[in-house]
Amino acid sequence: MAGPVILALAELTDGQPTRLSLELATLASDLAVAAGGTAVAAGIGPRAGNAAPTLARHVERVISVEAATEADAPAAIVIASLLAALLEQQTADIVLLPASPDGKDVAGMLAARLDLPILVNAASVAWADGRPVVEMSAFGGRLVTRSTFTGATGIVVVRPGATAARERGSEGSVEVVDLEAAPDPRVTVVERVVSAGAAVSIDDAPVVVAGGRGVAGPEGFAVIEDLADAFGGAVAGTRAVVDAGWLPYAQQVGQTGKIIKPALYVAVGISGAIQHKVGMQTSGTIVAINRDADAPIADFADLLIVGDLFEVAPRLAAAVRARRG
Amino acid sequence: MDILVLVKAVPIVGNERLGADERVDRTVGLEANGNDEYVLEAALKLTEAHGGEVTLLTMGPTAAQEALRKGLAMGAARAVHVIDDGIAGSDARATATVLAAAIGRQRYDLVLAGADTSDGQGGTLASAIATSLDLPYLSYAGRIELTDDGRGVRVQRLSPTGYDVLEAALPALVMGTQVLGEPRYPSLRGIMAARSKETTTLSLADLGIAPDRVGAGAATTRVLDATPPPARAGATVLRTDPESAVAATIDFLAARGLV
Amino acid sequence: MTTRLTAEQRDLRDAVRVLADEQIAPRAADVDASGEFPWDIVELLARQDILALPFPAEHGGLGGELLSVCLAIEQISRACATSGLILAVQELGSLPLLLVGTPAQQARWFPDLAAGRALAALALTESEAGSDAGAIRTSARREGDGWRIDGAKRFISQGNVARVVAVFAVTDPDPRAVRTRRHMSCFIVEQGAPGFSTARLEHKLGIRGSPTAELLFDGVVVPDDQRVGEVGEGWSIAMRTLDRSRPGIAAQACGIAQGALEAAARYAADRTQFGKPIGEHQMVAAMLADMAARTEAARQLLYTACLEIDAGSPQAGRWSAMCKLVAGDTAMAVTTDAVQIFGGYGYLSEYPVERMMRDAKITQLYEGTQQIQRLLIGRDVLAHGG
Repeated sequence: MAGPVILALAELTDGQPTRLSLELATLASDLAVAAGGTAVAAGIGPRAGNAAPTLARHVERVISVEAATEADAPAAIVIASLLAALLEQQTADIVLLPASPDGKDVAGMLAARLDLPILVNAASVAWADGRPVVEMSAFGGRLVTRSTFTGATGIVVVRPGATAARERGSEGSVEVVDLEAAPDPRVTVVERVVSAGAAVSIDDAPVVVAGGRGVAGPEGFAVIEDLADAFGGAVAGTRAVVDAGWLPYAQQVGQTGKIIKPALYVAVGISGAIQHKVGMQTSGTIVAINRDADAPIADFADLLIVGDLFEVAPRLAAAVRARRG
Repeated sequence: MDILVLVKAVPIVGNERLGADERVDRTVGLEANGNDEYVLEAALKLTEAHGGEVTLLTMGPTAAQEALRKGLAMGAARAVHVIDDGIAGSDARATATVLAAAIGRQRYDLVLAGADTSDGQGGTLASAIATSLDLPYLSYAGRIELTDDGRGVRVQRLSPTGYDVLEAALPALVMGTQVLGEPRYPSLRGIMAARSKETTTLSLADLGIAPDRVGAGAATTRVLDATPPPARAGATVLRTDPESAVAATIDFLAARGLV
Repeated sequence: MTTRLTAEQRDLRDAVRVLADEQIAPRAADVDASGEFPWDIVELLARQDILALPFPAEHGGLGGELLSVCLAIEQISRACATSGLILAVQELGSLPLLLVGTPAQQARWFPDLAAGRALAALALTESEAGSDAGAIRTSARREGDGWRIDGAKRFISQGNVARVVAVFAVTDPDPRAVRTRRHMSCFIVEQGAPGFSTARLEHKLGIRGSPTAELLFDGVVVPDDQRVGEVGEGWSIAMRTLDRSRPGIAAQACGIAQGALEAAARYAADRTQFGKPIGEHQMVAAMLADMAARTEAARQLLYTACLEIDAGSPQAGRWSAMCKLVAGDTAMAVTTDAVQIFGGYGYLSEYPVERMMRDAKITQLYEGTQQIQRLLIGRDVLAHGG
């Protein structure tokens, strides 16, 4: 009798799994090995067949479900309906869901519909004593908690960076499953609007360069963008900067914005107030550029460059470019 | 129109602690979850434009009243506070159950909830509640308005490339974000009026929920341990001219494999 | 009797504190440096109903409790003394109407004042009549159905931005009337009245954003329905006005002291010398302790004075003088010590305490110098044997 089945949902964009989805597939594989069970990745979306081979390089078993998530029903509702139907046919003990906006919507829907226990905000997931152990950063990084299910089943919502996506070196099996979506028809997507200049997502960028009030204006942000570009990273900002209209909300880091954990976070002209700190405190390395050596950010940065950001940042960008070749 | 706004009372950011049971200590100073005030502001604007009243709903111990007081001062008409010792130690599932039951007892056209909370709910509660109440669910709203016939809601849902426009007939549940707009400061008039506004308290018995369905005893998850993260070594501070500082920075990053 | 604040008073205080910290504090340095009257803060206070505090509810006010007004002045002044003065002067200039205005007069002016659509000011002081307020020379003579006002007022806070100015003028120069203090009356002059102008604005040591005006009255004619109180009642109105307005200045002083204390405490916790935060060195710790105790004492005296005055105490004048005396001296001492704790940095305009010290000085000067307060209190002590 096989051990537990660990099923990861793979979200698809442009017919390919998202990076977070590949991390989840890898996580499912690793947990299955630790648990002596099986890992399955369910790729649900348009052109799911296209995405299947990539998924199959990360996990032993792929279920491919074609779904129209860009039609007139919200994606999360379509996916939740298909995933619930899939779980009726296909047992899973642990369901891994991505902590993306759609993933979180799906998680709540599934938890309520199937009456499943749920653990959220997983920064990492291990396996011990026959169950998943979910590590979560609480209180803006001041505490790390480890939690588990009291029973044998549940949903785990996994944040970016819980593990690095890794190919297994062999191809897993792919099964195409036809399922009828029965999404709630009461919510319709009337229009999809693309705003000009949608930036690189900060959610899982390995390097994020963020600007604060010290940047003093939208023109100052050119310096931040250039530095981010030099690193090949994403641009972010504090709430003050978003409130002032210099950056869209999608790039806000902090208590009411996003909580991210890049490998490198460069804080430029940011004082380090707690509402911002909780959004980036668990980053791998924190480098700050600030005129004020006594700014609160000095308490939790790894490196603080005291100086005028308009002098330091352009030089740093040039040096990084030279280094990266 | 009647709008119900869910308010989550969370520990004041920076003052959070775990209690003896390794769950969030909610006896300390609490304030409304950051995003809840944005959705409350949206609710107030809607009732100002279309008539009706805003009711606040929260679940928590006595200290949760603080989160309600500000909302009442901002202009909500009344509050409902679900309070029962049996709720302590509830997991996400039980929380959704209790809130859904409390919502079910109110009259409303629209339920609004804020995105995520600063104390780790992880943003799944609103969709869970909508599902168990079988309400149309619209999430990550940056803008909320009524449809032209006044019988539905239209929401701009934030997306990585811009936004999607969603519509649903009322009653519905909408989860909203900061993009909805800066909440008003309570005016002094509002603050003075708040104390005379009605707060109804509800217990598990009032909601018809058996105590063994919620609380620590019914929890399907548990915290194994809580530890502070490994301390960061203090910052290396560079106070030299820009050129030297940049060179030292490159060395620092290279040593960590970041360039 | 207890001086614990009611829950409603605590809510009010906390709400104003949040507003002051988030919206007013960031403006304080600039208001001082530019010397420009902060109209944006007037609008903010109006929008949040703070300017409605001194006025009766029937005209759009919030009830007029002296302690509530003072709680608000104190919290605002913690962040910016000039901004705290906006509310204090709104009350000061309106007090004659609040005390003895007719229902028609109150209905005419209170709605705009409570809503913050109009500002008020009090014009009593003259170049040659400061402490000796009874020696004013501005005159008001009967002219037809009204009065013609001639003269000049000096050191009038917000005199050039107020729409409603309460002016004190001599209506009976007869020496007997002067001796019995029946020689003055009070009139409301509105901005824009022909003959009413601002001659100059002063450059000052502190509260630099608050305009201090010299006002000229050159044949300003006002109808008799703009006379406040009886003919000859002016001196009594002025004294009763000051009894209620001095606590406002005490509140400003307590706020300034509190702001300075907090800045010094934060600095003393962060700044390290000789291997530890300077707040842990005994001399600095002792200073902080004294600053805290004195500020609290001044505050408690203020709150008690407000309650006594509102309760109609026959010694309102003494309460008023005492709280202003103690708070003003406290503010000066605490801000001076705050600069001391900051050391050399405290002398720099980049740090807020030098501004607080400059702002504090005025609380020992206006609405009656500390010497006048001592005269009043001393007189009362003798009269009551303690």
